[in-house]
Amino acid sequence: MVADRPPFEDLYRAYLGRIYAYVRAQVGSAADAEDITAQVFMNAYQAYARFEARNTTPAAWLFRIARNATLDHFRAHGRRERLRRTIEHQPAAEEDPSGLAEERIQYRALLARVALLPERQREAISLRHSGLSFEEVGVLLKCTEDAAKMLYHRAVKALKEAVEKETA
Amino acid sequence: MSEPDDLELEALQRQLDDAFETTRPRAGFEDELWTRMQARRPAGTRLRDAWMGLIQGIREVPAVPMAAVAAVLVVVLGASVLVYSGLGRGGGGASTANLNSRSGAQPASLSSPGAFGQLPSPRFAATPKSASASGPAQAATPAADYAGQVALAWTGKLDLTVSSAPVFRYHEPSTTTADQFATALGAVLVSRPAGYLGSYQTSGFSVRVRGTVQSPALEPTYTVLPITSAGAIDAAGGPVDMALVFLAERSLAPSWQYTSNAAVSGDVSKVSLYRQFGVTGYGYAYLVDGSGERYGIEVDLNGGRPVSAIGPVPLNIDSAQYPIISADQAVQSALGSSPVSAGAAGVPTATLTSAELVYSLVTAGDHSFYEPSILFSGTFTVNGATYVKRVLVPAVDPAYRSS
Repeated sequence: MVADRPPFEDLYRAYLGRIYAYVRAQVGSAADAEDITAQVFMNAYQAYARFEARNTTPAAWLFRIARNATLDHFRAHGRRERLRRTIEHQPAAEEDPSGLAEERIQYRALLARVALLPERQREAISLRHSGLSFEEVGVLLKCTEDAAKMLYHRAVKALKEAVEKETA
Repeated sequence: MSEPDDLELEALQRQLDDAFETTRPRAGFEDELWTRMQARRPAGTRLRDAWMGLIQGIREVPAVPMAAVAAVLVVVLGASVLVYSGLGRGGGGASTANLNSRSGAQPASLSSPGAFGQLPSPRFAATPKSASASGPAQAATPAADYAGQVALAWTGKLDLTVSSAPVFRYHEPSTTTADQFATALGAVLVSRPAGYLGSYQTSGFSVRVRGTVQSPALEPTYTVLPITSAGAIDAAGGPVDMALVFLAERSLAPSWQYTSNAAVSGDVSKVSLYRQFGVTGYGYAYLVDGSGERYGIEVDLNGGRPVSAIGPVPLNIDSAQYPIISADQAVQSALGSSPVSAGAAGVPTATLTSAELVYSLVTAGDHSFYEPSILFSGTFTVNGATYVKRVLVPAVDPAYRSS
């Protein structure tokens, strides 16, 4: 039903940033994240006529498309290439000479570290911190809400250990 | 798990929240992508959306006699066909407001093509721009004009993807408008100097507002001059960020689409925010002056401290779609703008290699227009020095222009 659906532009404006951040945390590189985000919204735009608001939330629908686009990207470029690019794009202090950008660099480093986690952990963190509920995360990862919570908490612990190991 | 571990995990989760919340695409990406998506829409989809919008609008009007509905349908469908006549080339005006919806300018789109009537023709610089090509075409390096005649040749490819483009119109602001603008900045009226709508002041800066300047054409502008030495601005991204922070702190951040450029020389920086207008099916077109130079807002900085800012007064803008000339017509018009032909003895030939849709201000009494034009650019060499050549051609179909 057309009346059930908000104008696509509203979704686009509301979710572009979140989808980009999600993708960026998956691939680690801004250029790849832009390409994939563009593909996500191109696909979503074409498919919007078939979107049923009764069956799923716009967020879950868009993130499903984003997840598929990211997986397609990995399949096309290979895991090894992804890791290489992720490591290459880890922010170094000299990327932005201003000390005021320190926080931004820390965040980018954190997302780059997320990108190096095992796939399901990476997705659990990215989806959850992109604003999805555990129920929605579970649906997307094809597991129960409780399993999604568990997966997420394990992922955060793994991330913490990775960060500690890196700074030790 | 121990309590310190829990606290550390919570801190990490907060960091993740912040990291995801602050990770966003570069400025401009959102509108670029939206424009690309609009351009790729199939013609049928655009027509269907227009149709659905029409049906929805009619549903929201209760108790309209069916005959009246039928009449409205006929009229609006006729208008839709006209507006969408350039479908195959990505035309259509229905999304003009969308393209500009984030601009804050919110141009009200008039549905019928040519709704402003006959338009005045733009007056471009009599001497075509020939700038020293010591850097990018839009570099802030002062341009050295080449005074002699130049023949023109065209080797580029002009791919005009639209057959119509919006024309934007604003009404000349009154002193009341200027006062309201200044009041919104927290400034109070000091005087009304000759040539200005008003001079205003806050404890930290002064503002002068003037109306449209006829020649060279310039829209109503404000000039901000700090009275007291402003402190250095705390911004991470360099001069552009500093300029944006300075403007935002005074509620002067541009509400329209722009790209930025910073010309830095030692401690002195000139930041330019080049204004753009959205054209459905094409993308964004720069606003240029009569010489083809992009402009918008300029902020001068010295040692991280703002020295002055000049920009257009925010005004209500409405728009109407107008047919534009074809690429071939534009090229012929550009080549015909030179009185000498290529190969004439002793006359250098500028080879125009690129062309883009731009907007130029055309003043017309109590209201003025931003009209589409085609800007051709190329280079030529005289005595070993290379110059940039620009040629501006009005893009609105001559049948819709008065002179």
